[in-house]
Amino acid sequence: MRTDRSKDLGPCLPMEGDDRIVCRCEEVTQGEIRQAVHDGMFTMTEIRRYLRCGMGLCQGQTCSRLVSGIVARELGIRPGELRPASSRAPMRPLEMSIWANECQAPDGAAETKKGGAGDEKC
Amino acid sequence: MKRVDLIVIGAGPSGLSAAIEAAKTGMSVLVFDENARPGGQLFKQIHKFFGSKEHKAKIRGFVIGQQLLKEAEDAGVQVSLESTVIGIYPEREVVVRKYVETPAADGTDPQEPSSRHEAVFHYKADAILVATGASENMVMFDGWTLPGVMGAGAAQTLMNLHGVRPGKRVLMLGSGNVGLVVSFQLLQAGCQVAALVDAAPKIGGYGVHAAKVARCGVPFYLSHTIKKVEGTNHVTGVTIAEVDSHFQFIPGTEKHFDVDTVCVAVGLSPMSQLLKMAGCEMDNSGKGGGQIPVVDAAGQTSVPGIFAAGDVAGIEEASSAMIEGRMAGIRIAEYLGYETKEAGEAEFSKEEASLEGLRQGMFAPQNRGMKIEKTEEGIPISTNLLKHGFVADDEIGRFPGVTHKAGIHPVMECTQNIPCNPCQDACAKHCIHIGLNITALPAVEEGSTCIGCGMCVASCSGQAIFLVNEHTKEGCAEVTLPYEFLPLPKAGDEGFGMSRSGKPVCRAKVVKVRTSKAFDHTALLTIEVPEDMAMKARFYRSRLECTGGDSVIAQSRIKGAEVSQNGATGDRPCESKAAAESEKREEGAAI
Repeated sequence: MRTDRSKDLGPCLPMEGDDRIVCRCEEVTQGEIRQAVHDGMFTMTEIRRYLRCGMGLCQGQTCSRLVSGIVARELGIRPGELRPASSRAPMRPLEMSIWANECQAPDGAAETKKGGAGDEKC
Repeated sequence: MKRVDLIVIGAGPSGLSAAIEAAKTGMSVLVFDENARPGGQLFKQIHKFFGSKEHKAKIRGFVIGQQLLKEAEDAGVQVSLESTVIGIYPEREVVVRKYVETPAADGTDPQEPSSRHEAVFHYKADAILVATGASENMVMFDGWTLPGVMGAGAAQTLMNLHGVRPGKRVLMLGSGNVGLVVSFQLLQAGCQVAALVDAAPKIGGYGVHAAKVARCGVPFYLSHTIKKVEGTNHVTGVTIAEVDSHFQFIPGTEKHFDVDTVCVAVGLSPMSQLLKMAGCEMDNSGKGGGQIPVVDAAGQTSVPGIFAAGDVAGIEEASSAMIEGRMAGIRIAEYLGYETKEAGEAEFSKEEASLEGLRQGMFAPQNRGMKIEKTEEGIPISTNLLKHGFVADDEIGRFPGVTHKAGIHPVMECTQNIPCNPCQDACAKHCIHIGLNITALPAVEEGSTCIGCGMCVASCSGQAIFLVNEHTKEGCAEVTLPYEFLPLPKAGDEGFGMSRSGKPVCRAKVVKVRTSKAFDHTALLTIEVPEDMAMKARFYRSRLECTGGDSVIAQSRIKGAEVSQNGATGDRPCESKAAAESEKREEGAAI
């Protein structure tokens, strides 16, 4: 899927609801997202890096659908045509102190057929 | 690194079902769930489920959850809670954030309890099933970030898991099954539901769910949506307005409601990020409710050994999620050689047929967005039901469950072809006929004799069955209706008979209240109403409920509604004898 960069979107005219917050975690408004598209951010990944929407506590669980709707509308395409942002670990926000605290679960196959999550030493 | 045969991510209906099937074949199965309790959304579901016996129909969702947990335990499935999977890496490595318990110094001193801290663990499995479910969608309007605006599922969590009422007066946006079911549960929790609003021109969920909300007096506003939610620190009101066929507001159609809570039930999005990270081929066309993995019938993704089941592979509901989970579990056992191909295939096709059974009828995936004008029986559908949430008086008579007869008889106000048939089995006297086609409308069996046991009334997940005796004595009729509100009225109580639209249409006297284990928390209320109201009164409200300024009756009185006209004249003949009668009945009531 190649992004067409030559698309002329015209001027970014003010719209009703531009001051509405879309990404609650990072407090990004509809107007900022629309402006970002006009600034040349045509993909969800670019929008995320440019504005940080979807990078907060909920990791875009609430707003990514809303953001892709706004971006698609600005580009004149269907939201489904927009390439979704990449997914990478950690899937949930994680404190660095925990991230750095790597533990080894005991090696070897499950001792019984019952499996088990216990016995980890840290 | 710990190795197991199968790692399941998500202990909801599909994840647990898959884990059970896999563990039964002797596999070691480990289930991770980020929540403190297993069961996914099942433990919030206090209503009875639809389907047939094999789909666990007429059993309440949380009971199904308990059964699944028991089954999982018996099968040797290990469930690790408060364990968040933060990534799936190549070669099926799963990284989990979870707690580590550090026992106290000597492990016995209660003053020095064990401490717990979080750490990151690595696991490896021969197969992974992702069953992470879905999250609620939101829509934007002015004030959507105010405290008091929440997902309908969030409101359900507050009420049914934590025992907290989300608010006093609620407006619900969304008329799908989630919006309808949660609206009813809000009413059960003692909230007022000011209105049920949907931008679509017709109700999206089951008509029977809508009807039980409508007869509690909740008005439906279709082709309407939220314009603005008001309030500075929290919600104090909401303005809705009508929309045209392009979903643009029509000026001058604004309506205002004083509410402290706005619930949003506008669909779900699959939480499929883990699958994407694992490199599975994804479908972004939006047909499954969002980004979903491309899977085969057993949930196998494009990456060997990684499977997906339940809402994460396309939004449906809990019953189909459980079957999808079982199918994936069977196929995984086969894939890893714990089950022979033949045995697996036999079980698999059984589940497949069961899933097929659920995907029938007017609400089946293949019928989504289609305009259905007639039932399978060729009966014109109730258009009033789709627009206002209840079947109009002049429509109800054309459905096969609604017949007239001398003496007590069931009236099944089931007017849409949905895959559900517990009523057929509930009647020991075989009064109700659905047949082999699970979506057929229930019909009254010719020549059968109803004994008024009420099992059908209690078994109907849609609360759409009533027992009616159109003539008990001079000018009087009795209606037995399902009642799931507390406190329960008592025999002898007087109040009002409510129409299908939730308007008081007559005085009504409670003559019998039946509860029983077999009814599973659905009480059967028998009310005495004027004869001409036998086919109109479908709900009961006590006088007490009618004294509040906000109550439906108080409001309709102000508007000069039917109560004074119908009520006063119609029920007089019943009055004196009924009192004595009800006392006698009270003694015999099975409480």
